[in-house]
Amino acid sequence: MKKIIIGDHIIKSFGEGDEKRNVLDGVSVEMNEGEFVAIMGPSGSGKSTLMFALSGTDGVNGGKVVFDGRDLSAVGENELADIRRTKMGFVFQQPTMLKNLNILDNIILPSMRGNRKNAAKITEKARALMKRTGIAELEKRNITQVSGGQLQRAGICRALMSNPKIIFGDEPTGALNSKSAQEIMDIFSGINAEGTAVMLVTHDAKIAARTERIMFMRDGKIVSEMRLQKFSGTDIDDRMEKVTAKMREIGI
Amino acid sequence: MYYRIIRNDILKSKAITLTTMIFVAAAAMLVSLAAILVVNLSGALDTLMTQAKTPHFMQMHSGDIDTARLTSFAGQNSNVDEFQVLEFLNMDGAQIILGDSSLANNVQDNGFSIQSKKFDYLLDLDGNIINVSDGELYVPISYMRDNTTKVGDKAVISGKEFTVAGFLRDSQMNSTLSSSKRFLVSEKDYAEIKNLGGMEYLIEFRLKDLSALGAFEAAYASAELEANGPTITYPLFKTINALSDGMMIAVILLVSALVVAIAFMCIRFTLLAKIEDDYREIGVMKAIGLRVSDIKKIYLAKYAAIAAAGSILGFALSVMLKGMLLENIRLYMGESENSSFAVALGIIGILLVFLAIISYVSGVLKRFRKISAAEAIRFGASQEKNAGANRFCLNGNRLFNTNIFLGIKDVLARKRLYATMLAVLVISAFIIIVPQNLYNTISSKSFIKYMGIGNYDMRIDIQQIDNISEKAAEILKTMNSDSTISKYAVLTTKTFKAKMEDGSEENIKIELGDHSIFPIEYSQGRAPAAEDEIALSALNADELSKKVGEVITLVIEGKEKNLTVSGIYSDITNGGKTAKAVFTDNSNDIMWFVICAELSDQSLVDEKTSEYADRFVFATISDIDEFITQTYGSTISSVKKASNAAIAVALIITVLVTLLFMKMLVVKDRYSIAVMKAFGFTNSDITAQYVSRSVFVLIVGIVLGTLLANTLGEVLAGAVISTFGASTFHFAVNPLSAYLLSPLMMIGSVLIATMIGTSGAGQIKISESIKE
Repeated sequence: MKKIIIGDHIIKSFGEGDEKRNVLDGVSVEMNEGEFVAIMGPSGSGKSTLMFALSGTDGVNGGKVVFDGRDLSAVGENELADIRRTKMGFVFQQPTMLKNLNILDNIILPSMRGNRKNAAKITEKARALMKRTGIAELEKRNITQVSGGQLQRAGICRALMSNPKIIFGDEPTGALNSKSAQEIMDIFSGINAEGTAVMLVTHDAKIAARTERIMFMRDGKIVSEMRLQKFSGTDIDDRMEKVTAKMREIGI
Repeated sequence: MYYRIIRNDILKSKAITLTTMIFVAAAAMLVSLAAILVVNLSGALDTLMTQAKTPHFMQMHSGDIDTARLTSFAGQNSNVDEFQVLEFLNMDGAQIILGDSSLANNVQDNGFSIQSKKFDYLLDLDGNIINVSDGELYVPISYMRDNTTKVGDKAVISGKEFTVAGFLRDSQMNSTLSSSKRFLVSEKDYAEIKNLGGMEYLIEFRLKDLSALGAFEAAYASAELEANGPTITYPLFKTINALSDGMMIAVILLVSALVVAIAFMCIRFTLLAKIEDDYREIGVMKAIGLRVSDIKKIYLAKYAAIAAAGSILGFALSVMLKGMLLENIRLYMGESENSSFAVALGIIGILLVFLAIISYVSGVLKRFRKISAAEAIRFGASQEKNAGANRFCLNGNRLFNTNIFLGIKDVLARKRLYATMLAVLVISAFIIIVPQNLYNTISSKSFIKYMGIGNYDMRIDIQQIDNISEKAAEILKTMNSDSTISKYAVLTTKTFKAKMEDGSEENIKIELGDHSIFPIEYSQGRAPAAEDEIALSALNADELSKKVGEVITLVIEGKEKNLTVSGIYSDITNGGKTAKAVFTDNSNDIMWFVICAELSDQSLVDEKTSEYADRFVFATISDIDEFITQTYGSTISSVKKASNAAIAVALIITVLVTLLFMKMLVVKDRYSIAVMKAFGFTNSDITAQYVSRSVFVLIVGIVLGTLLANTLGEVLAGAVISTFGASTFHFAVNPLSAYLLSPLMMIGSVLIATMIGTSGAGQIKISESIKE
């Protein structure tokens, strides 16, 4: 299986002098193409920081990150932007949408960069994705006129526009009620089933339990890892129990 | 607590606070300077005119004079305090050599006088009455100003040698706008050169009661006393003296009004942006029960601090700078007596600016009332809808590059915020274009048409000589056989009596001849065409209280003749009181001839001027460009300087404000910027979006600014021009500089400022800014 991400002894520190502390303390991670992974850990354990480092959104102070065969530390700012736009998709906890644009425009925004000749095709694709995620009727709405769950679906549509190799989700269900959260997870499962790798950062065992591999973090290190079978759609309670047992075992 | 809030706030936004303070300081400085200058100008002018004892009424006269009759008139008129007749020995410029330079090309009437005994004294630069010794020559101060000569130079007047002993202030003729200049020599020297020039008389009166000046003028006119020359009264002396500095003050006032407006705009922008930022916090404060007035105080305190600091700085600057601007006033008029009062008035002006800022901030903060606590806490943003922006959709956009689209969309969505920047750019465009157009207009050759002078190449003045008609005919004969003269006009000026409403009579000088050959601009009506028509200068129309279409009665050869006023025009020649008519009249004495000519080949102007000057020594021949240069040259060059300064100031303002706004926007938009970067927009994409925002606003600004400049600006400039006596006028625009170069300069500065201002966007970290 080809590796999509290789993180090798990543160090990321914040602060200066005596205040300096390593939020990522020599973390090594690997992820295959098409894999469905969750990173779990308590607040401040460094899980979001790890995701930002692995996606090249934030630089590292030590170690290296190889994405799709390329060492990201050797890639310039503009090319990094291109990689983010064409090979990665992002979904954040808060809906990161621009206030000035309506839902449809927000979804197509990244794809439209330098590409306005294909506007019709792009719009068509966005509409198809919106239909698939159940928000087809919202395209003209302002972002303040829809619910959090709907906004998150729009965020996923935006992330899928470029047919990315991987989708990064930073607590994508953190602001949603459990019903909406499971609906969003259904969408992620569907995407993954089509071959797109998904990496989720979460502290919710029920969310992590839907993935196939879970990395547990504490104090800037990966302290443990567990693998699960592919989610069948019915065994969620069983999987959740396994995850919580593991968490108790390692004391998170 | 307020202190801590202010301190933290200012530390967080140093550049923005500093820029706002600079504008406040500049506004305060200009207001204070204008106040200080106004007080000093009027004070110095009063001092000068008091020390010199300027005449209240002065009649210039050339020709025979009956001093006994004048003395008896003065004795009988109860209002006359003092009376004198001064001699003014008019000397051809070529006969006056100061140091190395001759005044041959000078268009001023240069003349020699002795120090007066009773009043109208010529003063030295300390304000003392000059006591001149034999062999000494005192030179009008304007020749010191233009570096024609300096103290100690040798001067040669019609072959007689003098030493330039100093410079003099002349309360009558100081200004370059006054057409005569007086040199001072001793009585003995005067007697020696007396026969070498043409004699003119200054018949001067000081009155007991200045308010009865009008009655005195009428009495003088009805007594049919000597009146072959312009009449000038005390208020006119005052105006002429105050004009050039007055214009500078007017410009400063105009600029200070604009800078105050810009300071307000900066405050408005930073305040609106801050409110948008703090929306949620304000909602929270309201929700926990703070009063609107409590919340307002927090914001008000910061701006009060900035305004206070700016005002103090501005005052300090104005005190430092005032010396430089007062230099001219000091040189021409001396010290003012009420300079401490001037500083006090400056402080009052600054206090007004300060209070205006506070009440403005307070007004902007009124919108706190409208903030709904619930909405603010839930959404953290105002839910105002922008109808126009919603129709402008990215998915329907085929026209613009996506970055340009996003820039324009942002401007449309936050109109209120950008309106502020727009206002500043409109003002900048206005400041750039108006002085430029004004300069273009007054430096264009056709401008003199507004001044009562036709558009011709060469002007020949014949006056104060015997057999004046024969001499004029001699010139005309030459002109008729001169093939280079394509057309000419002869204008004869004579004095007539005009009947006033109350039955009294007043002298009126009328220029007779064909006024259609070299037409001038009429502010109302048109040139006289029929025998029974007359056109009046604005000053005359005012004094005679006549409008176009009304009838004026003249007394010609003892008979009354009714003339209809066909038009009113502006005039700066002959004290501004002139009239034009076409009727034929063989009776009265001719006061002077003006022959205007146009040459078939412009390049011959210099040659022809000197040819005629050599041939007809009795006449004053001037090339009209030379005439303009010497009459308005200093005004034109100062307007040019002002216009260049205005361009520089406006560009600095544009750069500073764009920088301020862009920095502010980047801080405000860091979340959106992080989002876009996360989704694959590069730093240059972000810069492109900001550039398209500012260029979009700028283009609207330039269009509006240009429109305003050509409408409101023209009216304003017209008001400035009217101080010369001209009343209607239109801009002569140089399209290349006004519509191409100036916008390009603005676009260039805005581009640079935007690039610098948004460079901070590159440092925004996605991971830090996206978690909000």
